[in-house]
Amino acid sequence: MIDLDTVSWLRRWITTTDHKDIGLLYLFTSLYFGMAGGALALLMRVQLSVPNNNFLSALYYDQAVTMHGLIMILWFLSPLAIAFFNYLVPLQIGAKDLAFPRLNALSYWFFLSGGILAVTSFFVPGGAAASGWTTYQPLSSPSFQPGPGPTLVYIGLLLLAVSVTLGSVNIITTILWMRTRGMGFSKLPMFTWFALFTTGAMLYAFPTLIAAFVLNVSDRLLGTAFFTSPAILSVPGIDPSILWDNLFWFFGHPEVYIVLLPAFGVIANIIPTFTGRPIAGRNWIIISTALVVLPLSFGVWMHHMFLTGIPLSLQESFDVSTEAISIPFGIIIISFILSLVKGRIQFKTPFLFVIGAVVLFIIGGIMGVFLSSPVLDREFNGSYFVVSHFHYVMVGATIFGLIAAIYYWLPRMTGRMYNETLGKVHFVISFIGFNVLYGPMSILSDMPRRVFTYPNTGDLGIVNEIATVGSFIFVFAQVLLAYNVVHTWFRGPASGPNPWGSSDPEWTTDASERTPAFDAEAAPVGGWIGQLASAAPAPAHGGAQNPSDGHPGHTSVRPFALGLGSMLFFLGAPFYPSASGVAVMVVGAAVALYTMFSWAKDDLRERFSIPDEGEERFPFSGLPKIKLGMWVFLSSEVILFGSLIAAYLFIRESVVGWPLASSIHDIPLGTANTVILLTSGFTMAMAVLSIRKGNQRALLLWLSATFVLGSVFMGIKLSEWSNLASAGFTITSSNPMYQLAASAYYFLVGLHGAHVTAGLIVMVFLMKKTVSGAYTKDNHGAVENFGLYWAFVDIVWCFIFPLFYLL
Amino acid sequence: MIGLLLFFAVKYRARKGGPPASKGPESLWVVVAVVLIMGSVLAAAGYQSFASTTNIEIPAASDSVTIKVTGFQWGWNFTYPNGNFAIDNLTVPAGQDVILNITSKDVYHEFGIPMLAVKEDVIPGKVNQLWFEVPDPGVHEDAIHCFQLCGVGHAFMIANLTVVSQASWEAWMGSG
Repeated sequence: MIDLDTVSWLRRWITTTDHKDIGLLYLFTSLYFGMAGGALALLMRVQLSVPNNNFLSALYYDQAVTMHGLIMILWFLSPLAIAFFNYLVPLQIGAKDLAFPRLNALSYWFFLSGGILAVTSFFVPGGAAASGWTTYQPLSSPSFQPGPGPTLVYIGLLLLAVSVTLGSVNIITTILWMRTRGMGFSKLPMFTWFALFTTGAMLYAFPTLIAAFVLNVSDRLLGTAFFTSPAILSVPGIDPSILWDNLFWFFGHPEVYIVLLPAFGVIANIIPTFTGRPIAGRNWIIISTALVVLPLSFGVWMHHMFLTGIPLSLQESFDVSTEAISIPFGIIIISFILSLVKGRIQFKTPFLFVIGAVVLFIIGGIMGVFLSSPVLDREFNGSYFVVSHFHYVMVGATIFGLIAAIYYWLPRMTGRMYNETLGKVHFVISFIGFNVLYGPMSILSDMPRRVFTYPNTGDLGIVNEIATVGSFIFVFAQVLLAYNVVHTWFRGPASGPNPWGSSDPEWTTDASERTPAFDAEAAPVGGWIGQLASAAPAPAHGGAQNPSDGHPGHTSVRPFALGLGSMLFFLGAPFYPSASGVAVMVVGAAVALYTMFSWAKDDLRERFSIPDEGEERFPFSGLPKIKLGMWVFLSSEVILFGSLIAAYLFIRESVVGWPLASSIHDIPLGTANTVILLTSGFTMAMAVLSIRKGNQRALLLWLSATFVLGSVFMGIKLSEWSNLASAGFTITSSNPMYQLAASAYYFLVGLHGAHVTAGLIVMVFLMKKTVSGAYTKDNHGAVENFGLYWAFVDIVWCFIFPLFYLL
Repeated sequence: MIGLLLFFAVKYRARKGGPPASKGPESLWVVVAVVLIMGSVLAAAGYQSFASTTNIEIPAASDSVTIKVTGFQWGWNFTYPNGNFAIDNLTVPAGQDVILNITSKDVYHEFGIPMLAVKEDVIPGKVNQLWFEVPDPGVHEDAIHCFQLCGVGHAFMIANLTVVSQASWEAWMGSG
């Protein structure tokens, strides 16, 4: 037997950058959060089982309802999907790993750090956030919901959103750029297609979430006044609630598809395995999903706002767009159904869950079409009908689909086969429990959501009691799943390399890359890559797990350390200025800064290197990998700044008497500063052009010029700010207009300044590397990318300057 | 659709000696059919939905009663044309259009009367409107609820709806 070496076991998981390992980390972490969210749901169902119950107080119930929603959607469903993206996408496209392995590890650690912050909030004075997962304003503002707990939750959410954005950039770049020879788009496995669609939607939906919560956290921590302050609520016409609704639902509705599409990817991918015939209408599924993701999902958010007093014509147009989005889903579903015709269907557990997911999606989807009507919305909005609807979609379609994925790919991950009988029992009990739980809720259209108790009128009591019984049946079924997975992992019989007889590439890629069973004997073909480094043979990735032989390795502790440092810093932030809060912040900042510094040093010494792989890059064959990643990232940043600028314009347009820019700002100085920044754009372009010709001296010269200009820009900025502050233009001004204008100004100009400052820091790194002669005519990707970034920062200023200084 | 799914799933289950799997129907016409069927069903639904939006449009104020509703943490304030106000009890005349001008004193609430299928968001700094008409007098206990989480008292933001005859309404209005 194996000598269990805990230290090396821990070291492996903390330093790993291998996509399969990180996929497993995502898998188990998200399942853990799923259990936490499920426990909260059970508490709520117990409280609601009888009328006028006192099991939970109103405050605890509100916290449970809020955290249940946030944890399930953001820390369970999406990360569970990301676990499979991580594990399978590289295997399916024939890549050795994701495009940016350390960034991938960083995404995981940010996800975990954010989750820990969110869960910690239960244990601080005042408790967790209690204003619903939708975080409507002004209820979630500091005036109505003070205390450090909600702040921790919202910061955790921001860390998660950053993690998702970085992860999306990574997975998109991987799929576009790392495919093996012959893996054209026409051959791409369906799961990978849906990974591409999901991460595409994430890339453009999450920036708006970031924008909304950055404004929210800025109100809570820095004292800005975007959503409420006593002075501002007295200004007639101000609509902080509507601003929040727009920002939140512009993210919130695409998020529904973000949660749903991975399950569809699983369904489309594994139906052929169990029918023995190809999927029907493959291209139509792809086209339909593409339509859903890009234009349609971003054009339906206002159906969440029918009751906010928006004009009837607007309600009608969003009625149409919402109905329109059901057509592509109709095509997808009919394709799934037709894929069964003339097959030889084997009713294994994954296939049962696939059928269950499709059935429940059809029910939930039809309920959704009802909600697209402004009139029926008057009947259903905010009631248990809605609760029933989105659980049919999110639990029914998504979780059933992802459970199918767990069963289906478990043999790929462990080399062992699960217990089929137990799996089938699990399906039957889940399906019954699910419908007993959410079916009755659909008739409770007169019971408001999120009430912690209800009067004993009509049939409310009995219907709720049935639902509670259903919840216990459903949760019991998931215990069977947990048992089955753990049992398979340790004791399951060997599955063989391709137990389903699938023709998909993840089953036929080199079996020696199979990830870790706990017991080497069970894994069929040398399926051991060092669960326990001491006993393991060298992993397939050429020293990936053990870089001790002096070659550049694939392991890095930096992502973990950066995640830890960020977590500590933000853990302390809500407690500022208490001494212990500051102490934790300082420790966190020190760890994070040291890690960033070491990360840069790793790169200077090229301690971490991965060969460029992938040959099928159409249509991006002309673009280097990092540059493609940079473009993808910047396209997401455009949405972030776009949302923030839109929020600023919204606030500005909704009030009368906004202070004139000329009465506040020094316009000539601002203009001069603009010229300085734009000149630095020119010098940066010259820097890129010089190294393209191979001229290192000129590169250093132009980089230094850019650095000096950027620093002067920031210097002038800071002196402007101190002048403004001494003139009374502050976020705590007694004049509500000044308060609003100052909030918007300092926030947006400050965010731009943070981007400039980050650029200055990177420039130091670039200059240092230039001096050491690292950049040549053929190898200067970092300079090219930084040029892109700097140009983006300049362009953003071209919008901010006129909007704040001139108008 | 669910029936079709289950029918195919059972019909084409793997049997000993059954036919081997083969490609089934897959062509443009399926997609066209789906788009046409769903399109027409949705068009009908959309038409119904549009036609019924007249039910939402606020009627002329001339022959109706306008009552001001203010949501607060945690209750409802109803202010009548004669200046009287009542907490957590809305009194309206039977057989006449009632327009509610709804706003909030503090946070986001949502005013709803499920038995009349009317609902509107209650937003600070903003006045939203809804209207309804109840034909017969009567007292409807707990008819009014808040449908938006608004803090720990959310579950108790319940009010009664009292519908009185025209005569007693006019007498009551005159008394203000």
